[in-house]
Amino acid sequence: MSDVPLRSQSSTTEIPTPLLPLLSILSSAFLFVQDRFRRIPGSPIIVRYIQSSYQDDPYRSLLEVLLLAFALRTLLKGRTREEGSGKNFIKLTEKEIDDLVDEWQPVPLIDAPGEIDEETLDSIPTIYGPNGIKIKLSPGGKPVLNMATPNWTGMMENEKMKEVAITTLRSYGVGTCGPAGFYGYLDVHMRFEAEVAAFLGVEACIMYSQGFAAISSVIPAFAKRGDIIVADRGVNFAIQKGLQISRSQIRFYAHGDMKDLERVLQQVEREQKRKGSKLTKKFIVAEGVFENDGMMLDLPKVCELKKKYKYRLILDETQSFGMIGKHGRGVTEFYNFPAKEVDMIVGSMATSLATGGGFCAGSEVVCQHQRINSSASVFSASLPALLATASSTAVSLLQSNPSLLTSLATNIAAFRHHLSKIEPVSIPEQDSNSSPSSQANKDAIIHVPSHPSSALIHIFLLNPPDTMEAEERLLQEVVDELLSTSGVLITRARRLRGQEQFEPEPSLKVCISGAMSKKDVEKAAQGLRSALIKVAGKKR
Amino acid sequence: MPRSSRRSSGQSTPTNIGSPPSKPLFPTVSLRSSPPSSHSALSDPPKSARTSLMNVLTRPRPVTSISTTTALSIDGSPLTPEDEFFSDQSTISSYASSVMSGMSSRQASSEELAKLYKDYLVKPFVNTKSTIKHSEFGHDNNPNWRWTSQWNPNEPIHVAEEPQPAYTVLLMTYVSYIILIVFGHMRDFLGKRFYPANYAHLQPHNGYAALNSDFDSFYTRRLKKRLDDCFSRPTTGVAGRTIVCYDRVSNDEHDTFQMTGTTTRALNVSSYNYLGFASSTGGCADAAEQAIRKYGISGAGTRHDASTLDLHKQCEGLVARFVGGESAMVVSMGYATNSTTLPALVNKGCLVISDEFNHASIRFGVRLSGASTRVFKHNDMTALESLLRECISQGQPRTHRPWKKILVVVEGLYSMEGSLVNLPKMLELKRRYKFYLYLDEAHSVGAMGPNGRGVCDYFGIDPREVDILMGTFTKSFGASGGYISGSKELIDRLRLRSHATTYAESMTPPVLAQIIASMSSIMGVAPPLAAPVQDESDTLSIVSRPAAYGPAPSGALPAWMNLPTVLLNGTEGRERLRRLAFNSRYLSSGLRKLGFIVYGHRDSPIIPLLVYHPAKMRLFSNCMLHRIGADKTPIVVVVVAYPATPLITSRVRFCLSASHTKNDIDLLLRACDEVGDLLDLKYATQTMSVEEVIANAEELVAANF
Repeated sequence: MSDVPLRSQSSTTEIPTPLLPLLSILSSAFLFVQDRFRRIPGSPIIVRYIQSSYQDDPYRSLLEVLLLAFALRTLLKGRTREEGSGKNFIKLTEKEIDDLVDEWQPVPLIDAPGEIDEETLDSIPTIYGPNGIKIKLSPGGKPVLNMATPNWTGMMENEKMKEVAITTLRSYGVGTCGPAGFYGYLDVHMRFEAEVAAFLGVEACIMYSQGFAAISSVIPAFAKRGDIIVADRGVNFAIQKGLQISRSQIRFYAHGDMKDLERVLQQVEREQKRKGSKLTKKFIVAEGVFENDGMMLDLPKVCELKKKYKYRLILDETQSFGMIGKHGRGVTEFYNFPAKEVDMIVGSMATSLATGGGFCAGSEVVCQHQRINSSASVFSASLPALLATASSTAVSLLQSNPSLLTSLATNIAAFRHHLSKIEPVSIPEQDSNSSPSSQANKDAIIHVPSHPSSALIHIFLLNPPDTMEAEERLLQEVVDELLSTSGVLITRARRLRGQEQFEPEPSLKVCISGAMSKKDVEKAAQGLRSALIKVAGKKR
Repeated sequence: MPRSSRRSSGQSTPTNIGSPPSKPLFPTVSLRSSPPSSHSALSDPPKSARTSLMNVLTRPRPVTSISTTTALSIDGSPLTPEDEFFSDQSTISSYASSVMSGMSSRQASSEELAKLYKDYLVKPFVNTKSTIKHSEFGHDNNPNWRWTSQWNPNEPIHVAEEPQPAYTVLLMTYVSYIILIVFGHMRDFLGKRFYPANYAHLQPHNGYAALNSDFDSFYTRRLKKRLDDCFSRPTTGVAGRTIVCYDRVSNDEHDTFQMTGTTTRALNVSSYNYLGFASSTGGCADAAEQAIRKYGISGAGTRHDASTLDLHKQCEGLVARFVGGESAMVVSMGYATNSTTLPALVNKGCLVISDEFNHASIRFGVRLSGASTRVFKHNDMTALESLLRECISQGQPRTHRPWKKILVVVEGLYSMEGSLVNLPKMLELKRRYKFYLYLDEAHSVGAMGPNGRGVCDYFGIDPREVDILMGTFTKSFGASGGYISGSKELIDRLRLRSHATTYAESMTPPVLAQIIASMSSIMGVAPPLAAPVQDESDTLSIVSRPAAYGPAPSGALPAWMNLPTVLLNGTEGRERLRRLAFNSRYLSSGLRKLGFIVYGHRDSPIIPLLVYHPAKMRLFSNCMLHRIGADKTPIVVVVVAYPATPLITSRVRFCLSASHTKNDIDLLLRACDEVGDLLDLKYATQTMSVEEVIANAEELVAANF
């Protein structure tokens, strides 16, 4: 107001004349702003407030200014992290950036394939014509016995399922053209869900359009950041991916070791007590029959522990559903254990029912939650109707024909018996009462950890070569030898080396089917035994 | 019945739109079915053809008293000459105009109209020899109602600023949400005290934490549940032109639904059935049946174990040929195609730059890969460029080590926005900044481009310039699953490193057969099976690329697959592409003229109509299903809200199909008009009445705005 022109006058004496116009501009600008500010209604109040608060408590004003500055900064700052203003950000001129852009050379999109990769690619068999028990590996070639595709109860060639699928095709078409939320939820889906729920004896069920995607989406639908998951070290790849996406705190226990599981659970409890953290969701994740080695979960023990330590159990029955139990209900039926006790049972229609897709069964709350929160269910088109009805048919077949499972059990036993001759511990033959005690076998070259009722059999070498690559090659040799001499197709377990959580040991994978004749199975087992002795035995 | 009434009234001859009578007016297959004046401009660049179209548009129109009322008044509004013309030229008359002309002399009662529309959804009003059901794929022979999906350089690919409604609308939307949230919390507060049993599953009990806490599920319970009768409506049958929904009621505020036992057949503008290949009859369904008989239905094992059929290889060969890539692989689920492939491409030390509206499967895959992620504003190429400059110059966080590689992941056509990626600009940036491009064509493949090969085809860009082409079969091909296409080395590497090939089930034979049949009918099959269709109007196209987008070689099809001739020679496929292009452009333009705020590109078959208020979503959906309009034809629509869209821009999304006839789109426009007036949804200025829009459909499609 009055002091401004005064100051400019006084400064004339000290400041050189060239600066005078500048100062006069400044002072007039100040006056202008002051004038404008005064015109704002309520401005005297603000001035008075600032003045008085400054007099009373200068720190308070300072704090207020700082707060205002902070709020402004937060508002102006980008929403994502590291928006170029971080501590680590180096300011560069446009020219420098251009140079850096010119210089930057990305690595190729794909790394050069290794030798083993080419071999792996070449060793993938192609089936000409339908898949099933007997397949052709070249057009018009000789049929070979397929022991590489899961087909536990022989649903793959079931004529009734085909007829049902065709009938469905003729009223539903193939694709559903939309996710379940957007008019892709068909009556046949509802029917299948109800049937599986009734079959297992649980409240509800939800369908997924791929078995692999089901479990890797079910886990993150429930387990979030801050939750605790205790998982078996031997879980399959899909579970590993589900665990990874959940961002929960993950603990592993030694594969199949219930004592270790209890130890981990106790440890978690202790830690939680010590930290005094609030109650979080806790899950145990395991498989019924493990995809990586065919071992079976000790379900009663796990359930006892889960109840004791207040965990929920996510059980992946991708392999065991349709394979284990009197009617193929999975490990729950095998142990005569109510499926309701398991919180989420995840299964696949592709492996067990020879159609396609996956499901998760559990309580009504569990399934409803997934319909809205499970990524693979919300963001994916629903399963083609013909696969849903064929799956329904397969479930009713399982329910009405226990003989499907008994013939499977017979075949597994026959196969395992022949293999046991080269295992460290022989399985005594039931009919001929020779050597009932389990004896150490001197001719042992393989080790089969798979459960005796598992139709999925993994065969590991006892004395493998030094490198994994050499071992994979050796196993591939066994596969090729068996195919050429006995006409039986098995496969070595394919792995994603470098992407697995714990690299599984290389193994041979054999899938037994109840639809195979016992003679074929025995012949195959004998063939495999001689191939193993021939290829792996000589290396010793 | 409508046809006869049409004959009695349609007397006038065409006046303009300059059609030389010497030439067959509408060749069975021509790239652009615009008025034939464009044929005279064959040698000229496409621009001049468009200018001549514009001249057509500017011709004076007869003065009619335009009633800007709801569709109830359709009977009263006068006929425009265009109607007469189209009806006479076409083999079928416009259903709507025939209805109108029949009624024009007197006031029709709504009962009479309803009677006329009684069998509208199932019965074609002309005799047809086609074996495909009208309810699944509508019969529409009028060659005027065709368009070619192709980039017009004069139209912007993506408008940076979407149209905005008045501020009051935005304000009221926020107020609505605040009210909903306040009421929700009040109900929770009271509910927990008076009905604790209903909240038991949201509370910790017996030492277990709640599976989903009341806080996490608040949005689902208190906001989404109010709309739950619009979602997950159970259906039956084919999701074709029409769909049959089960009627259901809820007596407990959408906690549970009870089936009433009745069904409603409705016009389906919700399913991703772009080319109408979802069908229980016709060549593709026959092929799928043959496949089941020959191969069974199982996709039991993984591709690396014994579950690779010769059918898989044939399908993969055809897919590569279709998209113009060198090699391809198929995955049994579309979602898993992204989520299992991306981790095989990038890992720690790599950077993924992703569009903010990318699909959940992409985000899932990127998270699995362990690569760093940066997000840029939707379709904003300037933002992308500055982000690229920053990322390349700064290098990895903390260490400043250069990035191993940068992968830009975009979608061809965005499923919630209807917007197209700016591919030309993207490739320009790619050349400068040396990133790799992953193009997700889930919605665009089959739906865009003169040959239906996706956005590359649409923009006339060599597909080999894009490193990774991904797409799904769920949408345009009426099947399920997805594909990845690229160079042979890339695909071979992915076969070894992708999660899906090693651990996921393989694709099932009926699905494979459906893909092969639908895909080859879009491509056409080369001799010796059938002669390819000569397309002379191809010179009109901006880029004609017969080498890249040729017909399928006859050897690519399984020997046992017997496709009908119309599928083999590609006429059917081409017809479908052009019908879809017309329908999309027509509806998108029409809704804009009616004053709705519509997002996205006009050539996109996905058309989002902005609703904003959360309450109007449910009303819109229900008003479409239980129509107030005189024709009483139910329509099912998809409403989308947060979290799939930003909170305030709730929308209705139409997905059009080649199976829709023009009359279906007319019907939809009338329905939108009536609901739009009822719910006050016309946030922009209305420039045409609905009857004007319907009468000027072709001009609207051809117009450049």
